[in-house]
Amino acid sequence: MAEERQKEIERSAEEIVESFVKAAEGLPSEREMYYSQEAYNVVRPDGKPSSSEERTEFRKRFIKIMPAKDEDGNLRVEVAKWVK
Amino acid sequence: MTKAKLDQLRSGELSPVENVRRALERISKLNPKINAFIEVNNDVVAQAEALERKLKRGKRAGKLAGLAIGIKSNINVNGLRATCASRTLEDYVAAYDAEVVKRVLAEDGIIIGVNNMDEFACGSSGETSAFGVTDNPAAPGRIPGGSSSGGGAAIAAGMCDLCLGTDTGGSIRNPASHCGVVGVKPTYGLVPRQGLIDLGMSLDQIGPIASDVYGAALLLEVIAGKNQNECVMLDVPKVSYADKLDGADIKGMKIGVSPQFSEITDSAVMDVIDKSIETLGDLGAEIVDVELPHIEEAMPAYYLIVSVEFFSATRKFDGRKYGKRIEDVCGDEVLRRILRGRYISQKEYRGKYYQRALQVRTIIRRELMAALEKVDVIVGPTVPKLPHKLGTKLTPMEMYAYDYLTIPANLAGICGGVVKAGKVNGIPVGLQVQGMVLGEEQVLRVMRAFEAVS
Repeated sequence: MAEERQKEIERSAEEIVESFVKAAEGLPSEREMYYSQEAYNVVRPDGKPSSSEERTEFRKRFIKIMPAKDEDGNLRVEVAKWVK
Repeated sequence: MTKAKLDQLRSGELSPVENVRRALERISKLNPKINAFIEVNNDVVAQAEALERKLKRGKRAGKLAGLAIGIKSNINVNGLRATCASRTLEDYVAAYDAEVVKRVLAEDGIIIGVNNMDEFACGSSGETSAFGVTDNPAAPGRIPGGSSSGGGAAIAAGMCDLCLGTDTGGSIRNPASHCGVVGVKPTYGLVPRQGLIDLGMSLDQIGPIASDVYGAALLLEVIAGKNQNECVMLDVPKVSYADKLDGADIKGMKIGVSPQFSEITDSAVMDVIDKSIETLGDLGAEIVDVELPHIEEAMPAYYLIVSVEFFSATRKFDGRKYGKRIEDVCGDEVLRRILRGRYISQKEYRGKYYQRALQVRTIIRRELMAALEKVDVIVGPTVPKLPHKLGTKLTPMEMYAYDYLTIPANLAGICGGVVKAGKVNGIPVGLQVQGMVLGEEQVLRVMRAFEAVS
């Protein structure tokens, strides 16, 4: 069932790709545009680091939503499926 | 309406606590049917009380003082769940405030809760949320549009004063049109995206949804402006949009209309739009034809670009540090975009698909920029068809067709807004006003002038 669903979704995912190929057929080649503007503030200034109090609070909040932790409060994760 | 409410709040006729309590009552009464909110902020009355104490001490009231504001579920609000309406992040509690949320709070806005949405903003109907579909209060039994479905529906139902949505290919403008409310997609780079969970990083913008143009303008001016810590932002000074709306006059403005709009739009929708264009002419604007010959090619190009960016953005949802692995629990449309993005990103297809789509993006942008050199704004329909009945089965291509007219603005990075134009069989139809890069003032001026006479 899951495999069938994936196949059906893959097939429907390709429809728009085919439609794009058809739509773009007669269009000229152009420069590629990744972002719509070119005047972005691309160089960030060095900011002040957040205070240690803020960082501790953030860590506490993050620990609450981690899937699992060890006795020292460190994140514990399952070894990825692809290395098993 | 927003201005009148603010006047009441400022004069003390209505207290922030009372305003928030009324919103909570309305949410509790209507949300079981409409499903516009995923989570209500339990701390909201305490926040309103704190604001009252602050105002009693004679401290300055912020621009949004006492207004109840809903936030789309893909924007981080510290302590509330940022689920993106997906099982992937159903238990994810935000550990910090997004920059836009910080700005809303700094102006004394009160976050009333988290709005429902299409899963990971992948949808145009409000039907793909893992927390259930959202109904359209303005046309019950029909879709509210998406992906900011909860925001559009919450405003239409009067559940809160303002909402923050996001727009990647029309996700603010589409629900604004279907729900008969006001929505604005700002120029790309005007509003900080820090704290937003990406759909397409080169296309996403956070923007306001409101019951009137004044409310949208006010919320936009609060959230707009450079954030030092973001690299893809425009370095522009703060602008006050709301103050300039009084007596908005469009006499002498050049308003562009494209004949291509009517080729892809249902005639009943187009009739409403044509009447709106006549109204703008009656208000003294000059109506000028503009050509947008490749507008139809924007949609397939967009879906290729957004799928690649979404595939990249979702690689962090591997279920190891938080949440669940996305491919294991997501809905069909999210999986479809991930699989498509993976396929297009493969080295052997990069030139054929992704780079070609980026070339089409250049063509669309150039076309829109050329049109906007001749006119001040371009007006037309927002969505080419009326919203379908909830539960109707549509193919992905039929669903994507909702976005034909909103996608070009995202590809070009320009701004656009939607205001209610009229109705077809009782179903709202929105007028879309698109402006040049940083042309929000002109767009809002046209929207306000139209709103004032309709």
